[in-house]
Amino acid sequence: MLALQLTITGLQTGALYALTAVGFSLIFGSTRIFHFAHGATFIIAAYLFYFVNVSGYGLILGVIAATAGAIIFGLLLNRFVYVPIQRDEGSFFTVFVASFGIGIVVQNVIGMVFGRGFVTVQTPLSFSVEIMDGLFVSPLAWISMLCAAIFFGILWCFLKYSQMGKALRALSDNPELVRVFGLNPRFISACAFTIGSILVVPAAIISGATSGLNPAMGHHVMLISLAATIVGGIGSVAGTLLAGLALGLAESLALLYVDSQWTEAVTFAILFLFIIVRPSGLLGRSAAH
Amino acid sequence: MKKTKNLFAVFSVITCLSLLIPGYAFAADHTIGALFPLSGPNATYGDVFMSGSDLAVDHINADKMLSGPMSIAYEDSQGLPQPAVVGMTKLVNVTNVPYVLSAFTGVSKAISTLGTRNKVVAVNGGGVGPDLASLGEYFWNVIPLVNLEVRAVLPYLVKEKGIKRVVLIYIDDPFGNSILEELESTLKEAGGELVETMSVPTTAQQFSGIAAKVRAAKPDAVYIASYGAQQIQIVKQLRDNGVDQQLVTYSGYLVPDALALPESEGIIATGQGVNYKSDDPITKRFVTDYKAKYDRDPTAYNVNYYNATLLYAILAHALEADGKAVSGENLLAKRKEMGSFDLVGGTVSFQSNGTLLFPIQVKVVKNGKPEVIDTIDFGK
Repeated sequence: MLALQLTITGLQTGALYALTAVGFSLIFGSTRIFHFAHGATFIIAAYLFYFVNVSGYGLILGVIAATAGAIIFGLLLNRFVYVPIQRDEGSFFTVFVASFGIGIVVQNVIGMVFGRGFVTVQTPLSFSVEIMDGLFVSPLAWISMLCAAIFFGILWCFLKYSQMGKALRALSDNPELVRVFGLNPRFISACAFTIGSILVVPAAIISGATSGLNPAMGHHVMLISLAATIVGGIGSVAGTLLAGLALGLAESLALLYVDSQWTEAVTFAILFLFIIVRPSGLLGRSAAH
Repeated sequence: MKKTKNLFAVFSVITCLSLLIPGYAFAADHTIGALFPLSGPNATYGDVFMSGSDLAVDHINADKMLSGPMSIAYEDSQGLPQPAVVGMTKLVNVTNVPYVLSAFTGVSKAISTLGTRNKVVAVNGGGVGPDLASLGEYFWNVIPLVNLEVRAVLPYLVKEKGIKRVVLIYIDDPFGNSILEELESTLKEAGGELVETMSVPTTAQQFSGIAAKVRAAKPDAVYIASYGAQQIQIVKQLRDNGVDQQLVTYSGYLVPDALALPESEGIIATGQGVNYKSDDPITKRFVTDYKAKYDRDPTAYNVNYYNATLLYAILAHALEADGKAVSGENLLAKRKEMGSFDLVGGTVSFQSNGTLLFPIQVKVVKNGKPEVIDTIDFGK
């Protein structure tokens, strides 16, 4: 029963990891921008939802505010930070440092506005129900998994069948060729940031209700996203999804075999293993960019 | 124009001369340091600690206790040893403070050697690891350490609540390990049994798996030994994931963020006993002004950092009266010479290991407030 309980817990955690990581992977895969401030997008969405919710405006407005906040932040960052750096032939490292700095600024601004303490979104959906003898599952666990399935289904269809989806994939392969075909790489980049930022919203909202929020949690979110992106294969959305789920499951099921302090280390042990054995990741391509 | 130039020249000469005379410009200023978590997951404590020390500075300056204005140079430790050592190095070598307020067990242990080497007094009012009693003469504690808190709560749990089987969830750092050692050595003696121990990394944020293991262990109570946001996350996720056993913790949980959480209801927590209704003027003034300034009731952490700051002013005032320099070495000597001090909570004196002894209260959280259910005075 403990194994089943940990599997369900792991799937819930993995669904949230996957939702967060796929957004990062999509942005990085399409634009080659190491968007470290993706963790900041998570924090902005989570705190906006929390603020609207505690202000009594309800769930729907909360979701709208969180989504709008995440998209606007992503687009502004792309337009006013990444594009100018790239225009001046800024290196990958310059982009990373700028993004890292923005993450710290956002953390501090959130701390100043909402306080630096712990806050949580109170909802009865976070309370577990005993569905079998000794098996507790909260409604939010099902919602997490359902959200992941719906969002990834839509994303898959979008990338496979829509014109913009094809353009996003093309941008990751060859930006010059995208120009030749009369498409605007900057507009496609903006789309990547929009979609990547939207994907983080459900994970941010659900995390606010399950594990609570503090302004510093963006770095942890980013670490998991990075690990899932590398394990899944850089640029592979499907690989990142599988890796996110696998990391959540591994972190939870590790409790069956190792002491609890090693569960987080399991994530990074898997990451290390992939870097050594299969650097291209689960579904990544071997060719180096 | 010429007159203005001359005035400027005279002013410049006076300024330069005052800077050249050692100690002249700043002799009247009293700056102490503080290493508090001002960012990161433990930042909630920084606000709590600062509210106590800032109020003390207000009172000290209003009373003109010292020859010049007193201020605190805050450095952000993030509650972590490495940034704390960077901050302490700056306070010791650049700001040149003789006295530093410290918090958190890991932080305090990390900076204590720098304090001892440079003869700078470090005063802890927030860390509770038992090791903090043995960090040398220049390290003082104005807070009772957690081994006393554990010893105070165990007999209550076993005898009054009939709790025998305890699971411990502890943070994997010096503080968490000290609680593990204390429970391992004292729970059996009290008539209980430590059925499972689970350590968690300092960065962990997901505890639903831990909750499943806790349920499987079927304990009567769960002792939680962590701090900051993580500690509150553990409580929330245990309750959300079907752990309905008695939760027990220590003084670190009694902060506004934790008490505001609905899942905190019914938690048993220990903490130092402070009689806020005492008639002594220092306590009365502290309680009245704290409520007026921050619009909330004070907690033990506010008291501790108020006391730690006031203690500096008492010692520095005595040193100035003797015509001696306010250095770490002289502050230590003066503390030993004076013996006892009138602080918030009454007249207190340090034990030989540099730690103040307070009674320990066992409290239960009811309607978002801790209510005292038992008091144990180890000094009697």
